[in-house]
Order: sequence, then C-alpha cells, then structure tokens
Amino acid sequence: MTTIAFKSGVDDAVIDELRAIIGDDDRVLPNTSSRVNRTRVPAPFPVHRWADYMPDVAILPKTAEEVSEVVKLANRLRIPVVPRAGGTGLSDGAVARRGGIQIDCKLMNQIHEIDLVDRTVTVGPGINMLKLNEELRKHGVFYPDDPASYPCSLVGGRIGTGGWSLLGARFGHTRDLVVSMQVVLPTGEIVEIGEGGGRKLRKSSTALNLKQLFTGHQGTLGITTEATLELVPRPEVEFAAFFAYEDYMSAYRTLGDLTKSGLATLAGVVLFDEWKIAYLRRDDEAYIPQPDNVRAVIAVAMYGTRAEVEPASKIVMKLGRHNGGRYLGDEISAGDWASRHDRYATPLHGRDKNGQAVMMSWHCEDAALNYSVLPKVREEWHAIVERYREQYGIFDDWGMFAYTSGPHKPWADYLVEIDIGIWESRLNEENWQGWVNCKREIAEVSLKYGGSITACHGATREGDAHLVPQEMGSAWEVVRRIKTALDPNNIMNPGQQSFDEFYEEGA
Amino acid sequence: MPDDGKLGLDGNGYDPNRDGDLQEQFVEQWRTNAYGCFSSGHKFCREVCPVMQVTRNENHTPTAFHASIVAMEKGLVDVADVADDFVHCTQCGACELRCPNTLFTGDFYRHRTRTVDVVKAMRALMVATGNEREGWKLWNERLAEYHNEPVLGEVPVLQEHVRDWAEGLDIPIGGETILFVDCEAAYYRTSYTRAFAQLLQKAGVEFGLMREQWCCGGPAAEMGYVDLARRHAEHNVADWRAVGAKRIIAPDPHDYIAFTEDYPRYFGDAYDFEIVLGVELIDELVKEGRIQLTKPIERVVTYHDPCRLNKRKGVHKPPRDLLRAIPGLELRDVDHVTQWSYCSGGGAGLPIEKPEITAEISNRRVARAQSLEVDTLVSACPWSERPLTEAGERADEPLEVVDLFELLAESAGIEVGGQTRAPQPEAQA
Amino acid sequence: MAIFRLGDQAPPPARRVTDTVVMRFDHVYEVDPALMELTGQQELPAWDTLRIVDSRWDHLDWMHAHFADDVLLAGEESETLPADKPPADEMPSEERAGPRPVE
Repeated sequence: MTTIAFKSGVDDAVIDELRAIIGDDDRVLPNTSSRVNRTRVPAPFPVHRWADYMPDVAILPKTAEEVSEVVKLANRLRIPVVPRAGGTGLSDGAVARRGGIQIDCKLMNQIHEIDLVDRTVTVGPGINMLKLNEELRKHGVFYPDDPASYPCSLVGGRIGTGGWSLLGARFGHTRDLVVSMQVVLPTGEIVEIGEGGGRKLRKSSTALNLKQLFTGHQGTLGITTEATLELVPRPEVEFAAFFAYEDYMSAYRTLGDLTKSGLATLAGVVLFDEWKIAYLRRDDEAYIPQPDNVRAVIAVAMYGTRAEVEPASKIVMKLGRHNGGRYLGDEISAGDWASRHDRYATPLHGRDKNGQAVMMSWHCEDAALNYSVLPKVREEWHAIVERYREQYGIFDDWGMFAYTSGPHKPWADYLVEIDIGIWESRLNEENWQGWVNCKREIAEVSLKYGGSITACHGATREGDAHLVPQEMGSAWEVVRRIKTALDPNNIMNPGQQSFDEFYEEGA
Repeated sequence: MPDDGKLGLDGNGYDPNRDGDLQEQFVEQWRTNAYGCFSSGHKFCREVCPVMQVTRNENHTPTAFHASIVAMEKGLVDVADVADDFVHCTQCGACELRCPNTLFTGDFYRHRTRTVDVVKAMRALMVATGNEREGWKLWNERLAEYHNEPVLGEVPVLQEHVRDWAEGLDIPIGGETILFVDCEAAYYRTSYTRAFAQLLQKAGVEFGLMREQWCCGGPAAEMGYVDLARRHAEHNVADWRAVGAKRIIAPDPHDYIAFTEDYPRYFGDAYDFEIVLGVELIDELVKEGRIQLTKPIERVVTYHDPCRLNKRKGVHKPPRDLLRAIPGLELRDVDHVTQWSYCSGGGAGLPIEKPEITAEISNRRVARAQSLEVDTLVSACPWSERPLTEAGERADEPLEVVDLFELLAESAGIEVGGQTRAPQPEAQA
Repeated sequence: MAIFRLGDQAPPPARRVTDTVVMRFDHVYEVDPALMELTGQQELPAWDTLRIVDSRWDHLDWMHAHFADDVLLAGEESETLPADKPPADEMPSEERAGPRPVE
C-alpha cells in the first residue's frame, strides 16, 4: 500500500470527525485509490504532478444536512472544501488546489418530484441529464440541457460551471433551465436560492435576484444539494442540415444569415473552420471522399412541432446554399448531428510531426466572442498554436468551432473553441509551462477583442485564471465583496479564478 | 488468432519467468490501453456501468480502472491499493462498447477500449502478487478440485453427475456436433438445458455430449485464475478432438464468449472448431419450420438482453424474433441500446465477492421490468437468471423470471422437466 | 445464423482509398496501418469490427429518438459526393457503415 501525505489540515482526528458526521465509513474515503481517482478532470492534466492535486479525503454525502455539517467542520478548522459532481468539466474547476475535503455528490442522484402541472422536475445534483431524460420521456417532456458531455456530466456540475447547451439558442442554457436550487453556503447554512420566493417561479422582482449568482461560480460560493429544473415539451421533430463551403468567409456569412433569420425553432448553428475540416479528414469515414474544396462547414439544427419545423427547414435549406453552400446530404446531416450529443475528441486523432497517430489529450479552449471578431480571432489563435507546436512538438491543432451561444438568441454571441491536442504522456514541467503560456496567449486574444476568456468551461485552469481580474475590470471589486462576505475563511474551492487575492494581506 | 502479447490482449498479462517486478511488467503491457482512456478521461462509460449505477463510487468506474494503471506507473498506487476497486465489475462490456474510442473510431484505428481485458489482467496480477480475494480463492479451489463451477454451494459438483440433467433424453456421447452445457445449467437450472436439448431433438439436430465435460474456464479467467482457466480449456479441446467433434453448440453466452475469444487466444490457428451460438441456431430452426411453435403462451413479457449476448457480441435480434414467434405472447420490449445500461449483476464473480451489489443490480432490473406491467421477465442467459429470479421473488409484487428456451420448449409442446433451482439450500461459496 | 470459425475472422486485405485511409470491409474505412506504427494496432476479428459498426448506427438512431419523436431530413442527396454512391437504405445492415459521424 502507498501513502501520500495530506496537504491540508486533514488528519486522523478530522477523518474520525467526518466518519461521525456521515455515520458510514464507506462514504468517507481517505485511502489512496479514492484520492488518486478523484484528482483530475478530462485532459490535459500534468501527470507528472498528480499528487499535487489530490484531495485529502473524499466524502460521498446523501443529504444536504451531511454536506452542511462537513462544511461547518471545514470552516471551523480552515480546511478547503472542493465540490465535485461528474468531474467532467474542461477547466479544472473540480480539481483540488490545496488538498482538503472533496464533496462528491454522485450518490445524490434521485428524482425527488416530477410536476407535470407546474412543469418542473426536482432532482439531486448527482443525476446525469441523459438518465434524467430517459425517465422523463414517458411523460412527453425533457430537460434540454445538452452539452458535449450530455451522457456523462451531472446537474450539480452544470450549475457550478454555468454550462452551455448545444440547443441553447432555442431552449437556453443551464442557468436558464434551472428554476431554483438548495445550496449549502461556505459557512454551512442551507438556503433556498431562486428567482424569488417560490421554488417553481421563473420570474420575480422581490429583494435581490440571486439565482444567477449561484450559477457558474465554479464551486466557489457553495454547493448545490437539490435543484428544481424546467420541463420542456418533448419535440415532435428534429431537423438537421450540414452545408459545405469552399472558403471560411462564405461559411461565416451563412452563419450570420442563419442566426439572424428570425426562425424561432432554430436550436443551434455550428461553424467548422478550415483547420477543423482538415483535422476531421484524419478520420475520413465522414469526409471521404469529400472533395478538397470542402473547406468549411455549417451545421444547423431545429427542434419543435412539425407544423413549425417543416416550413422553417425549407428556409434553412435556402439560406444554407445562399453563399455557395452545398448540402452534404441526408446521411451525414442525420448521423453527424446525432453524434454531437457526445462530441468527443478521440485521442488517436493526434498526429506527430511525421503524421503518425499518437494518443493525444484534448484541450478545448473556449471563449465567448461577438460575431464581428470571429474571423480575426481565428487567424490569431491558429498562429499562436502553430508557434507552440513548432517549439515544443507535443501540441496539435485540431481546429475551431463557433457555436450559437446566446440563450434563446441565435444572433447573439458565440461559444468559440479551439481544440488542441496535447501528447499527455510526454508532458514534463518544461512543456507543461509552455502549454500554460499558450493558453494564456489565446485567452489574451479573447480579451483584446472584447470577449470573455470562457463562455462555459470556467476560468479555473492555469493560463486563464490570472486573467480573471482583468476581464472583470471594474466589477472585480463587486466580486471581492460578495466572495469574502459569503466565504470569509476562503474554504470553498480556494485557489480558483484568482479569488485568493481577496484574502491576501492588505487586500 | 495468436497474440504475441504485444498489445496486452493475452489474458495472462505477463510471463512469470521474466526478470522484473510483476507489477512493472503489467504496467508496461497495459500502458497503451491505459493511456487510450486516460488521454481522454471523459467518462461516457460511467452512466452505462451497472455497478456504478448502484455504488456511485468513482473508484469503480472504467475510467478509474485505466487511470489506476497510469497511477501505478507513476508510483502513486500499487496493486494492494486498487485490488478492491477491480472487484467491482461484471465484465458486461457496456463501458468498452459505449466508449467513443470504440463506438466511433475503434474500427477505424483497429484500436478500441478493452476494459474487460484490463480488469481480467489486473485480477490476474492480484492473484500473482498475493492480493487474491478470499471468496474467489475458495471458489476456484473448488473448481480446481471438481472441474465444474461450485454452483451448488457446499454440495460438491461431481463429474459423475455432470450429465444427470439429461436423464431420459437418450443423448449419446461424442460425435461431430457436441452440445456444451454450462455448469450453472448442468447442475442448478437444469430446465434450461433440458429445454434446449429437447428443442434440438425436436428439430432433428444430431448432437452428443462430451465424455468428460469440465467448466469452459471462462469464469476462472474472469476472476484472474489464468492457469486454471487454460487447463480447463486444454482438457475440453482434447475431449472434443478425442470424439472427432467439428462443431460445438454453446447455448450459454458465457461459454460462447470463452470459445470464441479465450480459446482462440490459447490455441491459435490450430483451433479449427465451429462454434454455434444456441439462440441463433434455434432462431434458424424456427424460421425453417423445423421447430413449430404451436402451443400459445398467454403471458405478457419483457426481454432482458443478456450482457454477453447484446453488448459483448451484438446479438439482440434472434431472441426478439423468437419471442414474437410464440403465439399468444405479448412482448413489451425495451430496445437493445437502452439495455446497454442494464445488467443482472451475475457476471465476473461479482455475486461471490459483493452479493449485495449483485442483488441491488438485479433489484433494479426487475423494477424496470415491473414498470412495464408485465407478468414475466424473459432472459437468455442462465447466469443472469439466478440473481434475477431471487430479485423477482424479493420484489413487492413478485415477478416471474423464465429463460427463453424454456418458453420456446413449452410452446413447442415439450414437457421440459428439470428444475429452475437446486433443491439444497445454498451456502456462500 | 453466424457460425464462428476462427479462419473467417481475419479481416479482408486492405484497398487504398486515400493516402491516409484504406478499406477492408465494404464501406468501413480504416486508417492506413503505416500511420499506427508508434501506437500499434490491436487484433480486431471480423465479428468485432462488424459489431462496432452496427452498434454505432444503432446508437445514433437511439440518440435521435431520445431527443425528438421524428427526424425530418431535407430528403436530398449529397451535393459534394460522386453521383454513383448508393443511397444508405439500400445497403444491408452489415455493410451499412457509410460515412462515419465526426466530432
């Protein structure tokens, strides 16, 4: 057996106290395997420094009361608490920076109530959306929070990260689909947070509107222990169409045409840039034998009643072809759209400089950007990655996507991603720092063009985190006051998003 | 299909004659598989895993199984640290199929996720390094002694009784076509075997039994007892050769997997037997009219896709065609993709070491069946039928569990005989 | 009925499709093995390849049905591919691999 030292104030006495609170030793896990396997989230991860990011002990709570007592203990002893749901986030929000107690909410995965009259479902934070929707289907409703991690992420994490949904232009994102929630504050109180008073209210003007504050905080303001979610009518039909363009700008113009079309059932539009198409040709099952003049692609999907979607689909086909677009065909349109719900970057799509397939981890760098800046950002981002690829040899450019991102507003800003392959098994301290620098440069470009360094993943990864004060600008002081008021002892996921500076001497 | 061990396909995992630490050899051999998952870590496997659905403990995820090998390489864990984690698996195959590295690109790269092999190899390492599990150790000691799985608890499964199930059926020994009878079906659920054998007889299929049938060795391999598994395979193949067998009929999905995956790895190109899956054979015989399903069965049923048919082998259509061919039967189906996340919990030794988890997995499977308001749950795997039957009896409203062959035999007018459970009280293995 | 014979499990020989892609089974694309020298390929018997291909299509169909009751399509052929490619619904299930969905 191996032993790896605790990093925080956790010791045997603390573990005994935790066992007394939880009352079930199988749910208090200080053993090495439990810590090792609750460290990382999806790649990339500095494997050579694994022990640095391990929690000291993992708790699997069943109730809000258990969470509350654990948080109170952590406050009393100044021990960090790290909330974790699925651990499928792409920005290390659920990674322990300073050891501490990880609160792993997967056992809280029950459906507590389905209300078909007032149209809500109330669940624990440990439930996955696909599993939830499997249960909801027989009632003719669904919960359309649909990220690339749809089959594996959990509701608690979606709230913590302020997630983005592929269908957001139609149905909204996590923050629009969560009606209210129960939260354990950093000081241990259990509170009800919503738009207003009632658990099932969507719109209110009483006191302060707190719901958005507790969505997307990256686990730094508390732990969601129950959530009441929106029930949306199950769509009658889905329509998806893919179009190919000979150049990026034609696709880009089509993106603008589609998103400003006013079609109400539009659920999502995706722009694939030239680097992304080149990357996809590696796994040429989809694109073989697509001709070389397929350089950029637009994918568009609609959901709704047949009466609305069918006529709208004809307009979409016209708009898709307007700038020289060619329809990729029914088979690709249907097959590729269906695969978007578990979009995933296969490690073996990585290529070394000789074109050999090597397992690379996928980092998805996300930003929120307005339409006008998309072409320029694309150029600058690719140039940055190319420079780092040349220098370090372990990175690979897997291309960019731009997705509609405004909730219920296709014409609004875009989730823009550049997918970078990293040869994880070759990481060492030097090229890891190179990686962090690359990320920072990419994030700085987003800020330069009036964007945000993260649309949905969170600014919790090295390379992003220290830019948070710059992005928040004058609002940073407001953030400081709220964070320090709610978490006076800096125990709730400390070390994330540069919030530590609020607690420094003289802060 | 010989495997030179290069890519970690060999059920053994390492050569104990080589110099070097066993754990080090293991990591070297499985490193590529481990990084195949670790480089992603996206966990599409998690919600389809039947054990995870019950325990919700990240240690039991396929992700953790692969990550632990990387952690081993980095010196963060050793075998003893992770041994208990690797017990938590039925080797149902859901994770490795659902993994996008398999499902979307496994065929393109000829490189897929192989959690089942990883778990088997780790369990073999556990055995080789003194980290055996007590229950499995005892179970396999009994297997070594009696050459059949100790499915009767304290009552030894003696070789002289291995054909007792066939009483009155006049099945010869030997021949070109051999019927292989699973241990659970030979000693415990004999109605399954009698149903299947009599269906074949009714269709006029000629077949014989082995002179001395030993366990296929599959479960031993699943629990990490690689030498024991191999010895059983060698014995069985020698017995087949001795009677001039060319074709082996395997009704039980576990045996079918042993014969089509494990045995080729042991014997290579010399392995020239034809292996016939029982349910596919019966499906063909019914479609050809050689079995007539004439007696109506007035039941409302739902079908449980056995993991080792559906997920591991992609066999899901013949059982449904057969159920739809039975007159009077109403089938309320759950599609086979949804059933990627279903399981009985009976596989890979889990019921021996963690019976409470198996019981809960089966409880949930029965509850899902009951939500369809059926009176019967039909399965096509005898190993699933024991835990499912027990769960069916525990349920608030009892649900009957029957095997597909038993139902077909009844509809074909056959008086099956045999028993669905052994009369002796079961002691823990 | 599929009878398992070890001798039948070897995949057919590879035919070149592009400079990085080959084809063994009809409509099932594979990476050129020369590009997999560093990582190494596994032995994938024929039954396993076909199981993966069939499962993929089944999974995608399932995903469609999970989100909506019906899938509406433009009902038009590809405007980028050659005209002589047979439509998907004429291919038998085992060969119906077709263009594979991408990330």
